[in-house]
Amino acid sequence: MDDETAKIKGFIVEEFMPDISVDELESDFDLLTGGVVDSLGLLKFVAWMEDEFDITIDESELGPDSFRTVTAIKEFVDNARAGG
Amino acid sequence: MSTEAVTSLAAHFAAHAERAPDAPALIWDGQATSYGELRSMAESAFIEHDLASLPADRPIGIRAKKSPEAIALILACLQSGRPFLLPSIELAADTLAKLFAQAGVSTVLSPTGPRSDSAASLRALVDAPQTESIDARPSEWPPAGGAEGVTFMLTTSGSTGLPKIVPLREEGIDAFTDWAANQFGIGAGTVVANYAPLNFDLCLLDIWTTLKHRGTVLMVDQDRATQSPYLSALINDNGVNVLQAVPMLYRLLIDVNRAGGDTFPTVRHVITTGDKMPATSLAELPTLFPGARCYNVYGCTETNDSLMHEFLGLADGNVPSNIPVGQPLPGVTARVQNEDGTPLEGTGTGELLVWTPFQTHGYLKAELNAERFTAVDGEERPFYRTGDIVRRHDDGTLTLEGRADFYVKVRGVRVSTQVVEQAIQEHPEVVEVGVMAIEDELAGKRLCAVVRKEPDSTLNSLKLRQHCMTRLARTEMPSKITIVTEPLPKTSTGKVDRKAITAELERTHS
Repeated sequence: MDDETAKIKGFIVEEFMPDISVDELESDFDLLTGGVVDSLGLLKFVAWMEDEFDITIDESELGPDSFRTVTAIKEFVDNARAGG
Repeated sequence: MSTEAVTSLAAHFAAHAERAPDAPALIWDGQATSYGELRSMAESAFIEHDLASLPADRPIGIRAKKSPEAIALILACLQSGRPFLLPSIELAADTLAKLFAQAGVSTVLSPTGPRSDSAASLRALVDAPQTESIDARPSEWPPAGGAEGVTFMLTTSGSTGLPKIVPLREEGIDAFTDWAANQFGIGAGTVVANYAPLNFDLCLLDIWTTLKHRGTVLMVDQDRATQSPYLSALINDNGVNVLQAVPMLYRLLIDVNRAGGDTFPTVRHVITTGDKMPATSLAELPTLFPGARCYNVYGCTETNDSLMHEFLGLADGNVPSNIPVGQPLPGVTARVQNEDGTPLEGTGTGELLVWTPFQTHGYLKAELNAERFTAVDGEERPFYRTGDIVRRHDDGTLTLEGRADFYVKVRGVRVSTQVVEQAIQEHPEVVEVGVMAIEDELAGKRLCAVVRKEPDSTLNSLKLRQHCMTRLARTEMPSKITIVTEPLPKTSTGKVDRKAITAELERTHS
């Protein structure tokens, strides 16, 4: 697991599922259907990512699938960095 | 006895006592009381409590635990044509005093006699607060629709606030007892088990229908109501034909069956009511009761029974996981209504409203009526809002979804916390669960689940979410899941105390 993926998982676990360990969260777990990240959680998440990865996120670009899994989030971050 | 007009129930009872004085009316603690003996006991109660001298236009309060003497006292009241309030004996003394005051009772009576051992202590309990305070408090008597025809006054089991007093009229009780006798074949010699406490509306079927139609009431002792061997022997030794009870009784009998193979071949009609019968229990009914037809009956104190579903083919494995509420009883009108009060067309969910020929004309405290009794389009009679949300399926069947009280709006979507709790509860390592909507400054309301897992379970929020993903819509998925191993706070009736948990969560919410 690369550093950024680990950081993303670490944030999710700390913020939304404090009772599990980072290793238990699979990269392809459906965070939306599983109700881990709701609309309020998403706002926090976006703020954290902008801060942590030094990217600017245009909220209009955020589709439901951008945050569906850890893998998708990592891709989103990579794309945001490449585009910005 | 009294020369005043007697009620139909009392008149039927008197006729049976006249024609068949030796027929058994009650069985209590292994002893039978005949119709003739019960009539004598009612006459004694009438004289002893000097009912003739009590004001005819005011109700009597009855504080009684189940016993033949208690039934005799109620018969004496019915015979004298006086309405009576019969609250639960479990209520706190202060609550009882308030209820008796609200009903404007002229006196509070408890049965006497060797088999009413607790009568003295019961009287001591009610006499103290009652004697000085009754006249001082405002009474709601008589009911807004008039006192004429009112006999039984029962109370709701409302979990919050003072129980509501529900005056029932002779006309409604007459219609109900005749329906029940016809439906379940209750007549001379039929043995009907009475499991519920004396103040429950269920007694209108198992005690009062039976006495009106010359059957025999097998009275289950409340103090032993959870002892499986006692219950099993009682049913078989007395050849019970009709059994009406909450699912708990059936679970107890299933235990006995598993342990010793007991079955109950004399039972012809098995009625489940009052609570959701688990499918696992339902599946066992044909084994337990090889000669019985099985029904689920839906009703409440205000309307009495309104809908009924007969389980067909249980023995062939035809066990519904979601029990249909069933068809309206003869003369009953049922309606499913959207939130805005329009009728629900086609499939979907809505609140169940009913009108029954048995229903009360309204609570004694008239100001409570507007919330529950409502006019509906095209109907002259007031319908009762059950507060139950039902789903209408493609084939027209209705199933219970949950209580309207448990519906919350989360991000604009109506969610039943009961549905969420049920899904979580289905996880084998979950002991108990409470789901609440917690106020959040930003989000409005968010669903929070507090889950108690088995002590040795490795369950965590992630595993529970995976379990729920196939069972719940996204909008039903809790935002926050807290997993604990200690018991959740409980209410006085043993249910998970969501209010206490909500208060705790709101306090700790940052």
